[in-house]
Amino acid sequence: MRTFSYVRADDVDAALRAITDEPNAKFLGGGTNLVDLMREDIERPDTVVDITRLPLAEVEELPDGGVRIGALLRNSHLAAHPVIRSRYPMVAQAVLSGASGQLRNMATVGGNLMQRTRCLYFYDDAAACNKREPGSGCAAIGGFSRSHAVLGASASCAATHPSDLCVALAALDAIVELRSSRGTRRVPLVDFHRMPGDTPEIETVLADDELITAVELPPPPSGVSRYRKVRDRASYAFALVSVAAALDVQDGVVSSIRLALGGVGTKPWRAYQAERALLGAPATEESFRAAARAELADAVSLPHNEFKIRLAESTIVAVLRGMS
Amino acid sequence: MTQMTRTSNPPLTTPITGGVGESPLRPDGALKVRGEFAYSSDLWADNMLWGVTLRTPHPYARIRSIDVGPALALPGVYAALTHEDVPGQNAYGLEHIDQPVLAVDVVRYQGEAVAIVAADHPETARRAAAAIVVDYEVLEPVDNAETAIFGEGVPKLHEGGNLVRYVPILFGDQDATAEVVVSGTYEVGMQDQAFLGPESGMAVPAEDGGVDLYVATQWLHVDQQQIAPALNLPQDKVRITLAGVGGAFGAREDLSMQVHACMLALHTNKPVKMVYTREESFFGHVHRHPAVMHYEHGADRDGKLVYVRAKMFLDGGAYASSTGAVVANAATLGVGPYNVPNVKIEGWGAYTNNPPCGAMRGFGAVQACFAYESQMDKLAEAIGVDPVEIRLRNALSEGSVMPTGQLVDSAAPVRELMERVRDKPMPPARTSEVDIRTMPGGASNTTHGEGVVRGVGYGVGIKNICFSEGFDDYSTARVRLEVIGGEPVAMVHTAAVEVGQGLVTLQAQIARTELGVQRVTIQPADTSVGSAGSTSASRQSYVTGGAVQSACAAVRAEVFDLARERFGVSDLALEGGKVVSASRGVLADLSDVLGDRAVEHTREYRHRPSFPIDPLTGQGNAHVQYGFAAHRAVVDVDVDLGLVRVVELACAQDVGKAMNPDAVIGQIQGGSAQGLGLAVMEEIQLSGAKIRNPSFTDYLIPTILDMPPMTIDVLELADPNAPYGLRGVGEPPTISSTPAIVAAIRDATKLALKRIPVRPEHITGT
Repeated sequence: MRTFSYVRADDVDAALRAITDEPNAKFLGGGTNLVDLMREDIERPDTVVDITRLPLAEVEELPDGGVRIGALLRNSHLAAHPVIRSRYPMVAQAVLSGASGQLRNMATVGGNLMQRTRCLYFYDDAAACNKREPGSGCAAIGGFSRSHAVLGASASCAATHPSDLCVALAALDAIVELRSSRGTRRVPLVDFHRMPGDTPEIETVLADDELITAVELPPPPSGVSRYRKVRDRASYAFALVSVAAALDVQDGVVSSIRLALGGVGTKPWRAYQAERALLGAPATEESFRAAARAELADAVSLPHNEFKIRLAESTIVAVLRGMS
Repeated sequence: MTQMTRTSNPPLTTPITGGVGESPLRPDGALKVRGEFAYSSDLWADNMLWGVTLRTPHPYARIRSIDVGPALALPGVYAALTHEDVPGQNAYGLEHIDQPVLAVDVVRYQGEAVAIVAADHPETARRAAAAIVVDYEVLEPVDNAETAIFGEGVPKLHEGGNLVRYVPILFGDQDATAEVVVSGTYEVGMQDQAFLGPESGMAVPAEDGGVDLYVATQWLHVDQQQIAPALNLPQDKVRITLAGVGGAFGAREDLSMQVHACMLALHTNKPVKMVYTREESFFGHVHRHPAVMHYEHGADRDGKLVYVRAKMFLDGGAYASSTGAVVANAATLGVGPYNVPNVKIEGWGAYTNNPPCGAMRGFGAVQACFAYESQMDKLAEAIGVDPVEIRLRNALSEGSVMPTGQLVDSAAPVRELMERVRDKPMPPARTSEVDIRTMPGGASNTTHGEGVVRGVGYGVGIKNICFSEGFDDYSTARVRLEVIGGEPVAMVHTAAVEVGQGLVTLQAQIARTELGVQRVTIQPADTSVGSAGSTSASRQSYVTGGAVQSACAAVRAEVFDLARERFGVSDLALEGGKVVSASRGVLADLSDVLGDRAVEHTREYRHRPSFPIDPLTGQGNAHVQYGFAAHRAVVDVDVDLGLVRVVELACAQDVGKAMNPDAVIGQIQGGSAQGLGLAVMEEIQLSGAKIRNPSFTDYLIPTILDMPPMTIDVLELADPNAPYGLRGVGEPPTISSTPAIVAAIRDATKLALKRIPVRPEHITGT
């Protein structure tokens, strides 16, 4: 690990000053991803600004029926929160299907949004990786590509976004609140993460001087919601495919649908095409399959991840079938 | 399990507890659970330095130059050494001395050690290693075993070519034909031992010019034999003491940091500690050989085997390690625990630029068992009988002859093991009110039962216990009996390595039973006593157990001499700390008879000899003892999503004598779990001869949610050749659990599944 300076911020303004003063600084929340990456010499901040004492760990019920989740709320507290469990069970399920109890006790909501990919080549400093070393190439494309994305990949990068929580947030139209010395802005979660394009090293729209302060959830969609994850073992593994879905069926017809995918996209993947296909369609297995296929029509596979396309289709169908 | 009957009836004395056949608490158990056990990575010496290894990122490359100057320029760096600094022979190896201590002009696998550094802080040492400049000419790696041996224009990775060993087994009629023929090609991926304690140890320079090494290993004396020539020291100046071992499973049988730490310690004249990182550990030890196996089974219409023919290719990677012996195991055990009159098996072990492969629990028998058990299921289907029946019709038994011509001359209860797992009650069917963690997909909320199909499969395997093919396989024990604090105390000293299996506990049990004393102390394992051989091949209870028993018998005989002199009787026994006579009862306290005398004896124990196999026919009495286990696996498969949940594993194993019943159960559970890992998730992913998943985030081993409850039957059919009649326990359960689980997945999915591990995409298709 390289040497770095450590600063502890006592309030949001101090945190923002610290990050503005120091161009190569990183905020430290739970540290479950950042510290790992520093040990691997992939993240190389000169300064680490500890924000764990900022008062941003509350869940606040909003007048419109939504909730505002502080960015420093620990994942385990998020999953256990009664309001989240009752109104947004998909969020609790997503969080609980990720990582381990120990990691969830440390990891924060804001950190989850900033989580970096588990691409095997991103972690291998002897391999070409445009995300780690812009312009060096992508060893995954042409290499061992089983874990990689079938949606949203570019010629520069096919790394998947690793988060479970973000998939649920994408489905729920979550809004990310960002603060800087210039003020506060609100960005839809689905626009927070960027497609890799030619610049896979730029993963979010977060500016260098901005801090994630909260995630807001609008009132929950009607009907039932669920998060399901397919992975290589029963626990402690990243998703091969995951599905966050909220479905309402009236008179046998889909009246409301939210669908997002994990494990298959370069970012948390809101399945708008499938939603369009489903809305107003009969709630049947045929509709579910047609919608899944519509979403996956543009999927592009690499030599080892072709199975994900069919697995994503099967998982979408299985989840929707189970909810209807 | 049968109960051990102990001592005479009624007892003359208060019997001791914790003897052979009981399950006393292990001394390391509570410490490990509380996180207080001192592992080799916890070693500490004042004034010590940290050693770090520079490894090549290339699987195959020529080294044009190495410049350690930039490393030495860093403050705090005490040494940066290359092959030029190896004091003695720059080569080591278990069977072939083919691996350099530090690479000279070529590197043959990703992660091969090129230089070593010592510094006053681990981070300084890491930076110094990174500062070393190595100029490589990168070459195209050889990454396929069959191509390495038979391909045209393939570079020779070693002087003698790319064949490590060829083993043919020719038995009966090579041209036999049969009415029913089934064939298939089976593949096994590269499994890692996945021990939790990374390679680590500390070397301390000694005043006599020698070195004291504290290290987690599996075989102290074979380390010593390899380290001393590399350091150009006589063996007695390389003294090794076992440090706390965090698992082994074969991965510590080869050297890792031993010579490097000693070189740095001797060079700097300071203690040097080396601890591999988790990632480095994947490059720091050998793995299980990946295998490609082509099999053909011929049988009559009743399913009686007529012949088995097979060609098996095992990828040994860049250096030989124990590849030769692994190939011999795969070939000699290649038909499984079955009577087969005509056999032609050929096994090849190859050098490639893949990571070196060597010892791992099951040692060649694992790969073969997946293939022959898959074939037996295929044969059952072709004949139209159930999988248990086909195995019963062909089951090996005592008096059978192996394809090597070797007579199976002790219990081989293959039939009974199969019947026992078959007859276990089936686990209950799924209900709607099931805990989803018990469903395929585990905690992922993946299914609530829809799309889930149940399957049942069987596997039975055979393993040679102890070292084979004429190896002089022995152990040494020193036992001392004396009075301490008014009480007789036995001290047992061996070089046998405790890797977590419970050998320390067992040695004390044996001393208690043999000497009738309650208190036993176990000396730390070190090289000041004779070799105990390796903690592998399921052999330590047998061989070191035999040595402790034998040394105890010598001590007891001397005590009897003293007692005879004093009491004039010869029908003597040691019980409950007393010297007793069958005719006269208790004669005296043992402490009385001993007085201030210490009775001490050292004994070597050898199992009956084994013999080399004929290199052209594979015939010979190669093995010492055979171990058998059978499994029944019940699985639920989510066929839509490709997810498998092993619902239950039933296992039956003959252990000859359950020396420590709790430890036996632990071995069977642990071995079965390791077999489950190979069946459905564990594989080192190689691409271009590089390891792509060197972490426990990416190399998946089963969690407790993946491991089902087990029902276990332990048979105790004594082997008259072995101490206490015991039969090695550790490996057989690993071997048969894998094919049983895959068979169960096949039963649920009707898929062929010819490669392990079976992953979701193999079930869902693409």
